[in-house]
Amino acid sequence: MTPPSSLRPRPLPAPPPRRPTAPGTVPAPGTGAPKVPPPTDILHPGDRAKLLAARLQAARARPYLATALFALHLVESSRVPTMAVDRYWRCYASPLFVAQRSVEELAAIWVHEVSHLLRDHHGRSDRYARSRGLSGPGERLRMNIAADCEINDDVYGDGLAEPADIVLPGQLGLAEDRLMEEYLDRFGLGRFTDRFAWLDCGSGADGVEREWELGPHGAHGLSEQERDAVRFRVAEGITGRPGSAPSGWRRWAEEAFHPPQPWRELLGAAVRSAAAGQGAGEDYSYGRPSRRAAGIPGVVLPSLRRRPPRVAVVIDTSGSVSDAELGSALLEVAAISRAVGGARDRVTVIPCDAAAPAVHALCRAEGIPLVGGGGTDLRAGFRRALRGNPRPDVVVALTDGQTPWPAERPPCRTVVGLFPRPIAYTEQDPDYVPDRPPGWARVVEIDGR
Amino acid sequence: MPKHSSTQLELADELLTLLRAAGTEPRADIQLEALTLAVAADLPVLLRGEPGIGKTAALNQLAEALGLPLTTVIASVHEPSDFSGLPVIGEDPAQQGVPLAPPDWAVRLVRAGRGLLFLDELSTAPPAVQAALLRLVLERRIGALQLPPGVRIVAAANPRASAADGWELSPPLANRFVHLPWVHDPEVVVRGLGGTWPKAVLPRLDPDRLTEAVAHARRGVCGLLTARPTLVHRLPENETRRGGPWPSPRSWEMTLRLTAFAEAAGAGRDVLSLLVRGTVGDGPGLEYLSHLDRMDLPDPETLLADPAAAVLPERGDLQQTALDGVVAAVRNRLDEQRWDAAWALLARAAATGAPDVVVVPATTLASLRKPHWTVPPVIEQLAGAVTLSLEADRAATRVAAAEAGRAAETARAAEAARLAGFAR
Repeated sequence: MTPPSSLRPRPLPAPPPRRPTAPGTVPAPGTGAPKVPPPTDILHPGDRAKLLAARLQAARARPYLATALFALHLVESSRVPTMAVDRYWRCYASPLFVAQRSVEELAAIWVHEVSHLLRDHHGRSDRYARSRGLSGPGERLRMNIAADCEINDDVYGDGLAEPADIVLPGQLGLAEDRLMEEYLDRFGLGRFTDRFAWLDCGSGADGVEREWELGPHGAHGLSEQERDAVRFRVAEGITGRPGSAPSGWRRWAEEAFHPPQPWRELLGAAVRSAAAGQGAGEDYSYGRPSRRAAGIPGVVLPSLRRRPPRVAVVIDTSGSVSDAELGSALLEVAAISRAVGGARDRVTVIPCDAAAPAVHALCRAEGIPLVGGGGTDLRAGFRRALRGNPRPDVVVALTDGQTPWPAERPPCRTVVGLFPRPIAYTEQDPDYVPDRPPGWARVVEIDGR
Repeated sequence: MPKHSSTQLELADELLTLLRAAGTEPRADIQLEALTLAVAADLPVLLRGEPGIGKTAALNQLAEALGLPLTTVIASVHEPSDFSGLPVIGEDPAQQGVPLAPPDWAVRLVRAGRGLLFLDELSTAPPAVQAALLRLVLERRIGALQLPPGVRIVAAANPRASAADGWELSPPLANRFVHLPWVHDPEVVVRGLGGTWPKAVLPRLDPDRLTEAVAHARRGVCGLLTARPTLVHRLPENETRRGGPWPSPRSWEMTLRLTAFAEAAGAGRDVLSLLVRGTVGDGPGLEYLSHLDRMDLPDPETLLADPAAAVLPERGDLQQTALDGVVAAVRNRLDEQRWDAAWALLARAAATGAPDVVVVPATTLASLRKPHWTVPPVIEQLAGAVTLSLEADRAATRVAAAEAGRAAETARAAEAARLAGFAR
């Protein structure tokens, strides 16, 4: 963007020297003296005060971000278009830009920039680019825009002004409240994005190092562990006082250090370990001599006996679980059961609403009539499964959890695939809260991802 | 054998020798440093990484650096009895009992008295084999043999995502290891294929710092667990964290030992962080590290005793925490001299760092003033911070006014729409 000509002209200083790139001669980040003098272009003292007053206002409006805001190291540089961050938690500010903006706008931009870092936009951009094989400046601009959308759709208001020329999902024809990756899947560069081509929040937003940045070995950078520590303290502050932070930030805090894992892997691991545990599946036995025993007389060797596990899948067919969800989870369980050695006739499927009427052998996953609807009583399904002869080694229950659970632990391993639901409201009992699955079951949340 | 083929074989050998010849170079590599430190501290380490990224190569270098013979055991191809001992029927089993014979590699290891035992592919071992390994890792026993103290244990496992047919580690076994994520640094791989691998060096423990290091580690762990008793023991409660590190008295003891070793070796915070998070898990580990950070902040009383010589942390967030600590110390034992000293500290901080950091501690400190105390002249140096604070206040007022204006606008529009609907 070009500044209005009415602005008092300032002599443009020489560009900062490029930082040396020879490895091995530079100190580790955060230690030692800076090898490179910081850029010489300095904010006007009044503007510096303005920028710091803005940070103070931002910290007052968003107390849970104060730690992160104060951990940023300010670098003044006229080569930055506006304000930008790098992944080492340095915040670059252009003197010209600061002079043009009001304190409240700068406060909002502080929060915007620190959000890029807290939400790990640079790391996520890198991962997105790698998984899709993307490269080139156009793609990185797209990532910067998507990251900005993720922040801008919920960060302003409530004591924080909305800067004038920000990009919002609506301007790209997109719905709000999505993640950067979801935005990325939904728009391309073109007519709508031309006006954002000047956007540049630095490598902290899209992962590509800029020429003005001080890089990993420059002064005042935070090391990876220090960055994690700051992010952790912010997350801790939010989860510790959940009342003060909006839901978007609370979700971030919960997932910052434990990103949700794909449920297929978790369900697979749970079923596999249940099917392989003692009393089921493969185990060692002295019951019959080992193949190796013939060669070593006098030594008793155990042999590996295979008892393919019998798996009973109890499916909640009440109206609240969709066919698509069930189908995908059922296919998954069938595939895993086959992988652990279960023949097809060893997997039984019990569709279950209030009555659990029928038992089906799993011949073809698509061939099971999932009849039902209405209320569920999973206890009937469990009873039915355990009455089977021979008894199953593992019971896998696929349900949304809005059901009573068996009062006591069944005599076999239990895995619950849980479709998360907002709590259903019933007129008969407005205060009804379904029980969590009991402690003896291994619970995997299936969230459609 | 005809002569020319033997020559060809000799040539092949020569070529192989040339290919194998690789040097090492000292290089800052925190994951190798963490591995070396944990092995020096005699804690079992579990390397977690994708197959084929050089875990075995790293182990070879480590064994060479430590001067220990390397014994590799692929856990997944063994039976439980290979670790718990094979029953051997002797003369009179009823009288003599059935002894459990150890495997040959264990016998050799014990005879050598020292060595690096590498248990590869731990996560693809069936649960029964893992159960047998528990005893080996924890009690260092194989059958009737006791591993001598000179033997160090390192294991390797694939991450769950790539272990398609693998089992995850049971929580008790997972709790006995220091988990180190093993990722490849492309630069290291390229240098290594070019003939130069990073060199693993044993951490040099400073003999003068041993006692101090133990005291420091004990203060750190006990301080945190006193404040947060729920962190003492917390089984992994959901599927995502199964098979990973989790906090228990055992893993906290390992953390204590690692902290002392890191302190005595002068290892960086990054190395310690990797080790601690791999021992008690990310959440408790990060909490412990931020507790250590706070412990490392300058003591408020020292700062108050000599404000002119005070050295404050440079990073804004740490500086504010330190200053908050000073103000809290003044509040705890309030007298005019300490109050003045705190102002001198704040003035120094405002002059050297970012003045916005000083505002909150200054506001709190001002509120502690007794009516008869005179305002110290040094306070004038904080004028800049006061201006900042006022400017921030004004900006907040403007934002609030604009928000109120917008809300009123919305309300008016809603009212107008209602009236229009009513009129129609």
